[in-house]
Amino acid sequence: MKKVYPLRVLILFFLMVPFALYGQTSVTGTVTDAGSGSTLPGVSVVVLGTTTGATTDAAGRYSIQLPGSTGRLQFSYLGYVTQVVDVTSATTNIDVKLQERTTNLQEVVVTGLATTVKRSNAANAVAALNTKELVGTTNPQTLDAAISGKVVGANVVSSSGAPGGGISVKLRGVTSIFGEAEPLYVIDGVIMDNSSISGGLNAVTAAGGGGNSSTQDNPSNRIADLNPDDIENIEFLKGASAAAIYGSLAAAGVVVITTKRGAMGKTEINLSQDIGFTKVSNLLGQRTLTEDRVRASFGDAAVPLFLNAQNQGQLFDYEEELFGNTGMLYNTRLNVSGGNDRTRFYVGGLVQDEEGIIKRTGYEKKSLRFNLDHTISKMFDFSLSSNYINSSTDRGLTNNDNAGVSFGVALSSTPSFVNLFPDENGLYPNNPFASSNFLQTRDLIRNNESTNRFIGGITINGHLYETSLSSTRLTLRSGLDFYNLKTNALFPRLLQFQANGNGTGGASIQGNNFNLNTNFAAFLVNSLYLADKTVTFTTTLGATRENFNQDQTLNVATQLIGSQTNLDQAGAVDVDQTIIKERNKGLFFQEELNYKDQILATAGLRLDKSSNNADANEFQAFPKFSLAVNLANFDFWTNETFNMVKLRVAYGQAGGFPVFGAKYTSLVPFNIGGAPGLINAIQRGNEDIKQERQKELEAGLDLSILNGKVVFEGTVYDKTVSDLILVQSVPASSGFTTRFVNGGELQNRGLELAVSATPLESPNFKWDTRTNYWLNRSEMKELDVPAFPLGGFGNTLGTFFIEEGESVTQIKGISGDAGVVKLGDAAPDFQMNFHNFFTFKQNLTFSFLLHWKKGGENINLTQLLTDLGGTSPDYDDDDDGDGIPNAEERVAALGVSAAPFVQEASYLRLREVGLYYNLPVTTLQRVFGTVVRNLRVGVSANNLFTITDYEGYDPEVSNFGSNGLSTGVDVTPFPPSRRMFFHFAIGF
Amino acid sequence: MKKYISIHNYIKGTLAFALLAFALPACEVDDIPDPNNPTIESVLLNATVDDLNNLVVGTESGMRSVLGTYYDNVGVVGREHYRFSGSEPRFTSDLLGAGSAVLDNNTFYTTNPWSARYRVVKNTNTIIGAVENTTLITDAQKQGYLGFAKTIKAHQLLMNSTLMNTSGIRIEVDDINNLGPLVEDVPAQLAAIAGLLNEAQAHLQSPEVAFAFSLSEGFTGFDTPETFLEFNRALAARVAVYRGNYAEALTLLEGSFLELTTNFDKGVYYVFSTAPGDQLNPLYFARNATGDVRLAHPSFVADATPGDDRLSKVALRDAPATQSSLTSQYDVALYESNVDPVPLIRNEELILIYAEAKIQTGAFGDAKDALDIIRTGHGLQPYTGPLNQEAMLDEMLYQRRYSLYFEGHRWVDMRRYDRLDELPIDRANDDVWTSFPLPFNEIGV
Repeated sequence: MKKVYPLRVLILFFLMVPFALYGQTSVTGTVTDAGSGSTLPGVSVVVLGTTTGATTDAAGRYSIQLPGSTGRLQFSYLGYVTQVVDVTSATTNIDVKLQERTTNLQEVVVTGLATTVKRSNAANAVAALNTKELVGTTNPQTLDAAISGKVVGANVVSSSGAPGGGISVKLRGVTSIFGEAEPLYVIDGVIMDNSSISGGLNAVTAAGGGGNSSTQDNPSNRIADLNPDDIENIEFLKGASAAAIYGSLAAAGVVVITTKRGAMGKTEINLSQDIGFTKVSNLLGQRTLTEDRVRASFGDAAVPLFLNAQNQGQLFDYEEELFGNTGMLYNTRLNVSGGNDRTRFYVGGLVQDEEGIIKRTGYEKKSLRFNLDHTISKMFDFSLSSNYINSSTDRGLTNNDNAGVSFGVALSSTPSFVNLFPDENGLYPNNPFASSNFLQTRDLIRNNESTNRFIGGITINGHLYETSLSSTRLTLRSGLDFYNLKTNALFPRLLQFQANGNGTGGASIQGNNFNLNTNFAAFLVNSLYLADKTVTFTTTLGATRENFNQDQTLNVATQLIGSQTNLDQAGAVDVDQTIIKERNKGLFFQEELNYKDQILATAGLRLDKSSNNADANEFQAFPKFSLAVNLANFDFWTNETFNMVKLRVAYGQAGGFPVFGAKYTSLVPFNIGGAPGLINAIQRGNEDIKQERQKELEAGLDLSILNGKVVFEGTVYDKTVSDLILVQSVPASSGFTTRFVNGGELQNRGLELAVSATPLESPNFKWDTRTNYWLNRSEMKELDVPAFPLGGFGNTLGTFFIEEGESVTQIKGISGDAGVVKLGDAAPDFQMNFHNFFTFKQNLTFSFLLHWKKGGENINLTQLLTDLGGTSPDYDDDDDGDGIPNAEERVAALGVSAAPFVQEASYLRLREVGLYYNLPVTTLQRVFGTVVRNLRVGVSANNLFTITDYEGYDPEVSNFGSNGLSTGVDVTPFPPSRRMFFHFAIGF
Repeated sequence: MKKYISIHNYIKGTLAFALLAFALPACEVDDIPDPNNPTIESVLLNATVDDLNNLVVGTESGMRSVLGTYYDNVGVVGREHYRFSGSEPRFTSDLLGAGSAVLDNNTFYTTNPWSARYRVVKNTNTIIGAVENTTLITDAQKQGYLGFAKTIKAHQLLMNSTLMNTSGIRIEVDDINNLGPLVEDVPAQLAAIAGLLNEAQAHLQSPEVAFAFSLSEGFTGFDTPETFLEFNRALAARVAVYRGNYAEALTLLEGSFLELTTNFDKGVYYVFSTAPGDQLNPLYFARNATGDVRLAHPSFVADATPGDDRLSKVALRDAPATQSSLTSQYDVALYESNVDPVPLIRNEELILIYAEAKIQTGAFGDAKDALDIIRTGHGLQPYTGPLNQEAMLDEMLYQRRYSLYFEGHRWVDMRRYDRLDELPIDRANDDVWTSFPLPFNEIGV
């Protein structure tokens, strides 16, 4: 008998056919929300393994004909946990209560490249955000804004308020100082490039000394291209213990993004239109001028100008003029999804058009997504994800510069009594108090980034072998991410700083960047069920391959001909080209054991090689282990209150590559008079450079109380990066100034607490709340190179300082006779958020997100510039009552102490707030019949208020963009804005 | 049953592995050579003339890097000019020693000029190393490359020596893993530089010597081994007066391009252009600019002799510029455009070196003749003061101040004559520095 087991299946199969023909069962029922008890219209009901499906009507009722006398019905609904119910021949009525996904315990989280596990069984604290949390409250401009302040264990800092984003994401602290410290983004299995590519503004601003581009050019990150509304779910694998299976690419964590997909059932159409406006959320204010003050700050010659302007009532608030634009925001989204049991699709379209708080800045995006799932046969299925994005952002000219041309730098020394407005001929007067007339700059320059991007991925699953005891699946996956980013910065020769022999006679700076990432992977997954299915072994074998290619060309045309902007309409053209090529290959193995949902253990190993390593063909091994014990699932557990008590521990290793080119000692072009020349690069190559290796151990306790009404997750972690890649500042007398070395050990330890609860739930009122608390402490355990400053403007103004035994984000600076001392730390003491959703009478929802960052210092040089320019609003105040005005006191500290510039940047921010009304189903039916499925109107706002003692525009700022660890340096940034929306959404 | 399953699994597994192997045809990763630049190793063995010429051009090009900061350093500390910047307060605080501000050993004005000069030194060492390791060039060409490389190396070290003074420089930096000692003694620094110039002289005077390379327009007239040697000897004469070796200076001037005429501008220049990969003159700012400006120190105009045509080196502004309690009505106006050449060493300095050496060796008559060339060449009457060392040194330093204005000399001259205390102080508590601090990264190496 044993030997003919497959035969039995075959016979059974044939026997079932007549059954199916003869024994059809009809089932009806109502689907309701398990919490509130309200009915759910539009729920997809499908007989598993067949083409039969139905959808619940407006009253939540469904009716379905089973092909056989028995079967399994699957009930799925967006935002709810899918449920499968067995139907026996006797059943005719099945009422189903669907659980809303607030407690997240039933959702699956990724544990490998091809496998998932129920959250209640996971051994890692994986932070996840679903659609509702991402975009449910208000409408973020880019993905950056959608995750700000929401992720436990992450420090997310916006670089500026410029349209199009720009963000730094650090998961569980800074994990690399010079390597990749930003997480890897994986969208539906495709590795998505997140470069920030400079538009070459440095050629005009000279912010970073020489060269055409610098880290201070305020570019956006390319992750901003993604449409947040397409996202079903984001998971954050915050450290090596969860991300080890991504190997060398995972040291800074992995952000796994899953986009929305179609569900079986009726085709749904969702159309939503948002209209809103944006205003600057904070202005510094103006100094009140008097004759004496003008004389002291701007010289005798300025006094008559001031008096004249005062008499004529012509004192201008230029800050308001520059940053006070009310920008209109328009967003239109159309989603269509549906399918049958064989084929399911999701189409998502977005048209976004937003203006900024500075005139002539803004953000436009068009995105089209097509996701398809198809079951080819019992054995094979495939899914396709594809996304085309066209975006364009005008970002103005902000941040540091050394030529006095950026808006803020020029504004900082411009008093209110000068008239900078154009005359009747449209000609702008020169600004006698700065290198540039910022109104002219604003009106005539262009600083645009435009992207055309395609991201596509395909996954093919082959169910090679299925029995009740074992199943084997082969998954093949490939993906590509291609974009062309054009940067276009134009500085016409009419500008004050380009005319009359200033500057370079105009500049047209155009970058053309191509990026192509491709990745391939193959996995073999076997599940083996033993001992009456009480023990499951899941074995994964796999191989991956990643190719990264980037080709950046930057053309700087100067000495422009008239008002022409083409690169050839110029007297001089300078070109830079940078090519980045990386090839990685990996193999991995993972074994997962589930014993009765009581004990869950995992062991895995990834082997990687990369062209970025000095030895491209040496395998690097990254092991991982984890164990979770669900106490409440053991037989001895009788406590009813605690229905889940899970102890978990996980360990893993991951790598971080040296930056591209770290191993080369190059000669770089250095020409004179048209003759080609070469000089050694300032970076000395290191032929022995190898990967950073991160080892992370995390442990936690998860509790679910009262059947998921309250869920608590607590995690502690210790992650240590050894072979830390450092740019050693070599003695410059060697001819080089820097060298990449492996030379340190960096430890991050932290605590993450999350409580989600549904404190109140009745048909008329429901309150879901989630509170997170997290903190991280870092320490340089070892530093094999001398302590060095980084990412500031030197000891005089305060700088980050990497030093053994100290926090990696400490800020040091001169302090009188004490010399160079620690003045602060950019890392927050802790962060907390408080996310709430209220539903009244099932139709009215109100939600808000509060985010509190406690502690952490910024280096505020904006204030120094306004002090020096004589324009600080509190210039003449005397806060400490010593008779010396504030600004004079601060300026006097220049060169003596950097302490005044290192300022605490704590804040409490209402990041998001939204109020929506869903028209009751009965009203909808009365008015529209069955055509309209839902109709929603609402209002929402972003960054409505921020409480902070910080004296800059905003405590969230980064002059150096998302590079490395040096966020929090404040040099006349693009001010932050507040966004307010009116929403209208209709579903068919 | 169990056995069956395991065998079955085995077959399936093998099949799947075969598929995996198919999906990943090779497991080797190609080592990617630098896709952006040649590597330094590529020229160290059997360099061709082309390879070496690229390094020569790169060396000359590199000499101009960060010149703007160097001139701001020596000019502001030497009270020749003010440098105002909307975004950089340290030009008026640190460089002038405002209040209790001091020079920072780890910021742009200290580290950037230092690094830029040693980068060129490294490139000259690369040339020297490559020349010794190739069979693809002739011996005459070899001598030419060595003469060029060592002369430029000496000049670059001299630039850092003038900035750092007693803070020290390194002479031996060829072995980047074992850098030579820090030489804090200024005479020892200058002796080593003079030694290098003499080595270069020997190469340039070899029986068989040829330049297989071309130099930029800045070396027009000094681009053969013979004429390049005149440039080398001119630098040696400058070093000699810095060392107080006045008799030697006079000998060295004989081999230089000294002309006791008003052909003041004859010499070697840093040149600039808008050609691709080239640099612009960092010392040029448009007149009447606001925000980022270089202004003449008020004492330059106040102390000038009426009728001195060298006053044209500054220009009266439409409106005075004020920052941090400093005001000036005059722009520094040496350059008319951002592609104007900047002198590296020129005849006017050689005449003044000649005058100085003559004064110091007691030949006051010759000295007066030389000074009068300067004076009359600039619209002034001949020197009528006493013919003694003290008075004539004053006169020589005064003429140097005006003739070599904004060419990086005033501070160095006042320092070597121990007269820094004579430089004007604008604000109470301002300081006049004698040296820049040794860059942070050089400490303890």
